[in-house]
Amino acid sequence: MKGADRVILTIGTKKGVFVAEAAKPRRKFELRGPFGPGVPVYSTLIDTRGTPRLYASSCNPFFGMKVLRSTNVGKGFEETKSGPAFPKDDGRALINIWSLEPGGGKKELWCGVEPASLFRSRDGGDSWEMVPGISNHEHARKWQPGNGGLCMHTIIRDGNRVHLGISTGGHYLSEDGGDTFKASNQGVGAGFAPDPYPEFGQCVHKIARHEDAPGRLYMQNHGGWADWTGPGGPRPDIGVLRSDDHGRSWRSIASGLPSDFGFPIVVHPHDADTVYVVPLEPATRSCPGGAPAVWRSENGGDSWSRLARGLPKKQSYFTILRDAMDIDHLTAPSLYFGTTTGQLWIGREGGEKWECVFDSLPPIHNVKVAVV
Amino acid sequence: MGPAPTVTIHVYGQLREYCAGASQLSVSARTVRAALEDLERSQSALYRNLCDETGKVRRHLNVFVNTDNVRDLDGIDTTLTAGDVVTILPAVSGG
Repeated sequence: MKGADRVILTIGTKKGVFVAEAAKPRRKFELRGPFGPGVPVYSTLIDTRGTPRLYASSCNPFFGMKVLRSTNVGKGFEETKSGPAFPKDDGRALINIWSLEPGGGKKELWCGVEPASLFRSRDGGDSWEMVPGISNHEHARKWQPGNGGLCMHTIIRDGNRVHLGISTGGHYLSEDGGDTFKASNQGVGAGFAPDPYPEFGQCVHKIARHEDAPGRLYMQNHGGWADWTGPGGPRPDIGVLRSDDHGRSWRSIASGLPSDFGFPIVVHPHDADTVYVVPLEPATRSCPGGAPAVWRSENGGDSWSRLARGLPKKQSYFTILRDAMDIDHLTAPSLYFGTTTGQLWIGREGGEKWECVFDSLPPIHNVKVAVV
Repeated sequence: MGPAPTVTIHVYGQLREYCAGASQLSVSARTVRAALEDLERSQSALYRNLCDETGKVRRHLNVFVNTDNVRDLDGIDTTLTAGDVVTILPAVSGG
């Protein structure tokens, strides 16, 4: 295949990272890997600035955190010269790497880790420095781990604005390029504390936005608290939210969904009003009724429709994790999601028709797609 | 006090790429802690695989002096004598 003809998927799994490649029609994907075999990968990045580079976090529970880099579109990966690490006198030790995003400079990368902190590399991942404005924020030692750990999973850059999603910490916003951050959670509910709307401490699962509408943000928050009868009372529909003011305030758009609990949230590449979520049963974190479906809104969350053509109709109890869904940028874009049962699905024509691409991979943590 | 005893560090196979392929390293150290400090200076890439940023041996690793796990001795302050073999291995954990 020639350059500019390829759709590339990075698939981070419990047992390493895989790379899938197809021509633009996306009829058949070839699979390569696993790279970093046997080691969990929670984040990947397809960096399309200049010559494409692929990155993957290799989160080795025995020997520590590494960053893998591929300069040949996923035919092979090598470790960068070093991975992010806290200063020796900080007292914290890296547990996991949850997000990798491109920064401002051509070789600049940003990385969100567990325990929730932010690192920056200016040389393509060979050296890293901690970003103190959030990593040493006055709230940082008060954040609590969610079920997946105390992770910084979302980094969204928009000029001098930087949005961070932390579980469990909430949404933090910088308007000075990342020097300083403020908790920005007005309207973001919390379900596991007596105060339903604290300043910080929400269990944000994922935040997404459209490149051309930076003021509009969507959030999948930790929902499932409609029936709570304890202190603070019930808090329905806190799980799916929207902001129209660069994340300063948020409002619910969960009405019409079968559940406001879920992990990923993805925005259509050509329409900022079209957004996708995967509602899950809050108690089991699996598909409601054993029948998986992606739900789509085409009006910014005012109403929702179910997309399940081709997906199993019963007996499917997988989970789709926070970074395990993405959408390509082709004219008729396809959605992709990976499951905790190791299936990789493609939803053609914006999710109208689903097909299983790979059905026996290791449990999938992360799926990213790009056309290179 | 005489010179520190020379001991052998046996390098787990998966980690040999971090010390130019060596399967064994010789260091002079009176304790396991001193041996690790030697590695931090002389084999920093290998060391980062064994200890986290705070200097603690990574949680899922076990350190043996000869056949004894140091947790049953004096931890990383376990004394070393000439000819000892220090082995650092992944614990039987993980999935």
